[in-house]
Amino acid sequence: MIVDGPELALLAGTLRRTMATTSGPALDRALYRLGWPDMLVEIPEIAVPLVFRLLGETGAQASVLNDVVRHAAGAPLPGEAVPLPFAGGSWVVWERDVETVSTTTFSVVDRELPLRRTGTGEQPPLAAGRRALGWWLIGAGRAMLALARQHALDRKQFGRPLASFQAVRHRLAETLVALEGAEATMHTAGDEFGAMLAKAAAGQAASTAARHCQQVLGGIGFTDEHDLHRHIRRVLVLDGLLGSSRELTRQAGASIRTRGSAPRLAQL
Amino acid sequence: MSVTEFRVALRLWLDEHDLSPTGDRSREAELAQVSRVRRALYDAGWMRYGWPAEVGGLGGPALLRAVVGEEVATRGLAEPGAYSMIEVLAPTMISYAAPELAAEMVPRLLSGAEHWCQGFSEPGSGSDLASLSTRARRRGGDWVIDGQKLWTGLAQFATRCVVLTRTAPGHGGITAFFVDMDTPGITVRPLRTMHGVDDFAEVFFDDVIVPADRMLGRPGDGWQLAMDLLPHERSTCFWHRGAHLFTRLDRLIARTTPVDDAELGAAYLALHTLRCRSRLTQSRLAEHGRLGPETSIDKVLLGTAEQTLFDTARDLLPGEVELNDGEWRTEFLYSRAATIYGGTSEIQRNIIARRLLDLGKD
Repeated sequence: MIVDGPELALLAGTLRRTMATTSGPALDRALYRLGWPDMLVEIPEIAVPLVFRLLGETGAQASVLNDVVRHAAGAPLPGEAVPLPFAGGSWVVWERDVETVSTTTFSVVDRELPLRRTGTGEQPPLAAGRRALGWWLIGAGRAMLALARQHALDRKQFGRPLASFQAVRHRLAETLVALEGAEATMHTAGDEFGAMLAKAAAGQAASTAARHCQQVLGGIGFTDEHDLHRHIRRVLVLDGLLGSSRELTRQAGASIRTRGSAPRLAQL
Repeated sequence: MSVTEFRVALRLWLDEHDLSPTGDRSREAELAQVSRVRRALYDAGWMRYGWPAEVGGLGGPALLRAVVGEEVATRGLAEPGAYSMIEVLAPTMISYAAPELAAEMVPRLLSGAEHWCQGFSEPGSGSDLASLSTRARRRGGDWVIDGQKLWTGLAQFATRCVVLTRTAPGHGGITAFFVDMDTPGITVRPLRTMHGVDDFAEVFFDDVIVPADRMLGRPGDGWQLAMDLLPHERSTCFWHRGAHLFTRLDRLIARTTPVDDAELGAAYLALHTLRCRSRLTQSRLAEHGRLGPETSIDKVLLGTAEQTLFDTARDLLPGEVELNDGEWRTEFLYSRAATIYGGTSEIQRNIIARRLLDLGKD
């Protein structure tokens, strides 16, 4: 399977359109029809950033993180959901077969996600899942930035667009800086440690985006009618999954202290 | 030769040729050390890789220059800011000076024979370059410069200066010259900084005569020259600077025992992010040969990372900055300027808002 140039653009277009209209188990099925498992096995370096980033940008959700973790663990695809560690030592399962389980146990902050608490699980390999979540968080951050940017251009106050006020411009610029910085770390996330740092950077960037974009959107960004809160809720949950940015940052600090030096992962 | 082979060979050479600085931390000694390192690296060829043959280079990808600078910074061989000036001024000369002038002058910079400075900022225009008022007017076959520059790094040690002048109103009325610092009419007054170093100077131009062949580009090209130069200030220089900051983080780790791992991790994450971004910038530069406003993101990341690192150092080494007369004190104080030098973080955010986010004028 070779995907590049126009072929990749075509695939990205198809995925984006699908995610714009489909979410949850239906999106799982659609992704499988589009050949997601083969892409994950054969071209993960293209498929994972593409699919997960688009999930973030479109606000859709699917349970494909399970596939990423299963594949990294050498388990066959497709297959059942695997227990995943969550911030604070909790464990969750991202349900695949949502029609058969009670939704009352699902994530409360993001009700769209079929995520429920479970007892302890067996520690899965984390790097691939953290990379996938990193791209998802960055995609969600970009979605928030796009909403806030458009609002700043459209909305007028004191006779001029919000976008003309430096305080507003600087919040949006800081958001882009955080997202671009985090995205750069995704390109240096090949090993376990790099993936951990990238997930931390992405979680932090998405939180920065949420804070600044909600402030720029003002009252409307706090209402249920506006789309922003869906991304904010999503980011809160995804940041905690497979380790929060806070936990991972502390872990990185402990690690470099134990090693006695700070690894330079990015090399020319 | 691949980048990796180059790095391995360079490291071997540096292991065999001790270029370590003396303990003298005076500005004069630091600059003499920069010259000594450049000279040795130039004579051995290392400093000539990544530069075109027309200016005495040995060719090869520009990436090799980042490798040399990283080794110099990591080994602490030369003061990083002064060393990295080559990355700002040599490309500008190659792009804008007459070919004979570039061929004559650039090797003097690379080989450590001279230091140069960059006369951009003025008392009335710091980051607002377009408002500069130092005037150049034609007199016969020469140009005459009058005015004042400020924050001119290394001016008191420099042999030459790239000076932006006004020759007509507006952006299109800025013209650049390559001026010999010993020209009559130039007065340099060093400025002591808060970290106790003569880093900058005020430079006064009083009827300073500059031959027409020292113009860089044509009349009115100065704004474009500045726009081309600034991304250089934020690309290879930042790879060097990031490498330097990593050595400080290593020192911090070596000094601390029971520490706050979250804070240490946050400083590391900020430096790691800067380095990852800086590497992407290096590969974009290698692919396209040109950089633009996206380097403003690198600048904001650098300012944040540098201050986070030294804030962390101050927190984890109580009393070190306040009570000891050592490098942590001077470097901590210098880091306060990281969000100011090379265009303030506010200016960078303005550029990001206008050019990258397309938010229109502010």
